[in-house]
Amino acid sequence: MKGFITAFYVEMIKALKSKMLWGTFIFFGFIAVMLGFLMLAAKHPEITGKSEVLSMKASMISNPNWATFFWLLLQMVLTVGSIGPAIVTIWVFGREYSDRTIKDLLALPVSRMNIVLAKFSIVFIWSLFLLFLLYGLGIVSGLIIHLDGWTRDLFIQKSQAYLLSAILTIVLFPVITLITCISRGYLLPVGLSVLILISTQFVFLGMPGITPYFPWAVPGLCSGVAGPFSPKPEVISYIILGITSISGVVGTAIWWQHADQH
Amino acid sequence: MQPVIQTEKISKHYGRLKAVDNVSINVQKGEIYGFLGLNGAGKTTTIRMLLGMISPTSGNAFLNCKKVNAGNPQMWRNVGYLVEVPYSYPDLTVRENLEIVRRLRFIDDVKSVNNVISLLKLNAYEEVKAKNLSLGNSQRLGLAKALIHNPDILILDEPANGLDPAGIVEIRELLKDLAGNEGVTVFISSHILGEISRFATRIGIIHDGKLVHESSVDEMVNLRKVSLHIQTHDMESTAKKLGENGIPSNITDEGIIEIRDPDAISKPEKIATLLVQSGLPPCLLKVEEEDLEAFFLRVINMKGGEK
Repeated sequence: MKGFITAFYVEMIKALKSKMLWGTFIFFGFIAVMLGFLMLAAKHPEITGKSEVLSMKASMISNPNWATFFWLLLQMVLTVGSIGPAIVTIWVFGREYSDRTIKDLLALPVSRMNIVLAKFSIVFIWSLFLLFLLYGLGIVSGLIIHLDGWTRDLFIQKSQAYLLSAILTIVLFPVITLITCISRGYLLPVGLSVLILISTQFVFLGMPGITPYFPWAVPGLCSGVAGPFSPKPEVISYIILGITSISGVVGTAIWWQHADQH
Repeated sequence: MQPVIQTEKISKHYGRLKAVDNVSINVQKGEIYGFLGLNGAGKTTTIRMLLGMISPTSGNAFLNCKKVNAGNPQMWRNVGYLVEVPYSYPDLTVRENLEIVRRLRFIDDVKSVNNVISLLKLNAYEEVKAKNLSLGNSQRLGLAKALIHNPDILILDEPANGLDPAGIVEIRELLKDLAGNEGVTVFISSHILGEISRFATRIGIIHDGKLVHESSVDEMVNLRKVSLHIQTHDMESTAKKLGENGIPSNITDEGIIEIRDPDAISKPEKIATLLVQSGLPPCLLKVEEEDLEAFFLRVINMKGGEK
């Protein structure tokens, strides 16, 4: 346990001292504020002035109320929310290869397993914080612009859906971690993350029959944003998602423990 | 006495490429073992196998009589290392980088960071981010990370890279002191024999993945070729006259007569007398010792030396 705590502390220091942490906070905060601005533009079309792009986007929101805003936030957690943890894990693990500091972590009294687990923990907490930031600032934006239709039940129901979607989205990041470690860099995992995002949309639109079995589509099914006619997640959906996540964790641990590290 | 650092017929093959091939090395406590080789000879691969960073294709490595095993973190408690160019976290300062190593090595003494900063003369740079360090100071930071826990075993891969001449002398004296007074066992790789031979107790030369030479530094000095070099105004006649007197010689590409006969080398005055009496007075007569660079090149059978 001492090894894990030490490794976790060190990883935390590395994250807190990095520009990446603050960069991701600003990015997710900006998205939340922009969502609020979009709702404001939908409520008051006159404020977009002559901007056709903003007017067009705002006009897509026919009912600028809390129900629509929560739906937008859920959409965000399923799209940007899946890219966020991917970027964080690519950085936390990939930087050791790009900065060539990996060799400093391989022959220490702290086991490699503890270092890997500490890194996973940091990525999970960081990602969760980003998605909470998105939600929290989103709610604040909605309150500031006085959206209509707030009810306690709506808030609790949508918050539960958001939390579940966020956690299910985040736990899939170890697959990206494994690819980061195997490729020893940033390019391949970034490409894979984008591919997964596109594939998930494709699965929803083109092959709705397999959505319950495609791990990255499961959070979308759970959130309810796919609509009332979309398939419901089954027990097997959660099992597939869990196996995918655990495969990433175990694969990464095995890679660190046994693969030649250059 | 059991060796502190040992490889037992260790090999690492990448497909057909034999990066390291059947290398057996034994390093005793307190020794400074100089591991020489050209770039790509197999030095870093051997070091990585010693540190458990890569697995050998065959053979084993041992540190303190324990088989190197990446899954046994305890075996690294008393090992300090530096592999290739020492990179550090670029956005962290020298002190922060060392603080990270201190924690990962479970060093309770918080002064250890200050001590190693002073030891490596990094005081002026302790608040400088690693990305802003010169190559020489990055190397010092790498050495500081290797030394912070006062290890019993030091495995250093080309630690003099990027250091200025004063820095090289400083590190040399530091390693000599650690080995001589603290009993630290040092395994150090380099491609500069002249530098390594100044402080190593034993030398191993690796070429194309094979250990082609191993000896103490004293033995190596004796293995160097010694020859008598002569120049006269008539080289052909001189060589002929030497031959007539049973002294074999050859004329080098540089136009110098070279004699390798031990008797002639030990008594050059006799040769001088012979040549003067033969009307071929020498304008150059000197005993030439093969330099370390030529010895190294000869050992690895390259241009600049003979097999």
